[in-house]
Amino acid sequence: MEKLMILNGSPRAPRSNSKEYAAIFAEACSLPTETFAITPKNHLELCSRMEGFSQLLLVFPLYADGIPVPLLSFLKTLAAHPPKKKPVISVLINCGFIEWQQNRLAVEMVKLFCTQQGYVFGSALMIGSGEAILKTPFRFLAERGIRKLAASIQRHQYRTFHTTMPLPKKLFIRASTNYWLAMGEKNGVSKEQMETMKIE
Amino acid sequence: MKLILSDHSLSLPPEQEDIRYIDLSGLKIANCVGCFGCWTKTPGRCVIRDDATRVYPLIAQSDQLLYVSRIFCGSYDVPMKTMLERAIPIQQAFIRIHHGETHHVQRQVVPKKAVIVGYGASSPQEEALFRQLIARNTYNMAMEETEVICCEESQVEAIVKERVEAWKN
Ligand SMILES: Cc1cc2nc3c(=O)[nH]c(=O)nc-3n(C[C@H](O)[C@H](O)[C@H](O)COP(=O)(O)O)c2cc1C
Repeated sequence: MEKLMILNGSPRAPRSNSKEYAAIFAEACSLPTETFAITPKNHLELCSRMEGFSQLLLVFPLYADGIPVPLLSFLKTLAAHPPKKKPVISVLINCGFIEWQQNRLAVEMVKLFCTQQGYVFGSALMIGSGEAILKTPFRFLAERGIRKLAASIQRHQYRTFHTTMPLPKKLFIRASTNYWLAMGEKNGVSKEQMETMKIE
Repeated sequence: MKLILSDHSLSLPPEQEDIRYIDLSGLKIANCVGCFGCWTKTPGRCVIRDDATRVYPLIAQSDQLLYVSRIFCGSYDVPMKTMLERAIPIQQAFIRIHHGETHHVQRQVVPKKAVIVGYGASSPQEEALFRQLIARNTYNMAMEETEVICCEESQVEAIVKERVEAWKN
């Protein structure tokens, strides 16, 4: 019986977009799933738990054009402590910018990990505007992408998917400016303060 | 100013006034937790007050960078990646179009020439991926010119020394 392990590699796993993407995936997937957040202390436990799963889904954000540190560190531990039976590894990545293409390199990095460590790479979904999309009317696009991802993993017909908000970049920038301004305002910080050129 | 940022200690020619050398292995730097406090709470300042807060201002001020990092999975290995993720206070929350893509507006960040020395790649594919990563970094990290040198760990010192000598001339 197939089972799928979801690992949340977001540095802010408990309140992350990845958590929400993972929940949508678990709902859409017909295989039994179990979700875990990667923490600095549970690497070895996750490696041994992996033993019981035939599929692994890594859900994480793009950080500085690559894999965020919590997941990168976990991959190092996994390389040193592989499960006896290796699961197929798939990826659900989201990035802040509107271009889903910015996620490509991080997916390639996971593929390289698979090649180097002897795992089969499965499917991938790359989401652009991932910080925002779930809070907009374009949420359905993310959900649709996640359903396709789940179906491809269940059927072993592995593929790569992508989605983003279908907005002109200028409009995306205007919406994101408002989003950040609102967050600043909540903290009592003005636009001028947020625009400071001073560092430290 | 010129900055050498390395993931391990290097024996370098005597320090010069405009060259700063930082060995990340001697610093205490936690990973970014994605709170965006540096954009929306205390703009320009990270809320985690550890050694990273001394490093990202130097990254911003430098016009020449020399980064030394082990390569893992085609990425910077954990120590350097941790520092680079912690450097987002040098950007603003606000987004602009840059090279046809959306990217953040930079604060007072000097445009840079960067030399990136990556060591320990285990295959040509891994090296190629690392080079692509640096090419992408140029947009987010104000690098105007980059040179990537992939080598064995044993070659790092000699390469760095040569670069530092070249800076002096
Ligand atoms: C340190 C840091 C670096 C980031 N780097 C990028 C990047 O290079 N490109 C991008 O599109 N988004 C980048 N982002 C934005 C995140 O990918 C985005 O906010 C995502 O939705 C976070 O997902 P999460 O809530 O699951 O952690 C970065 C965010 C942080 C905090």
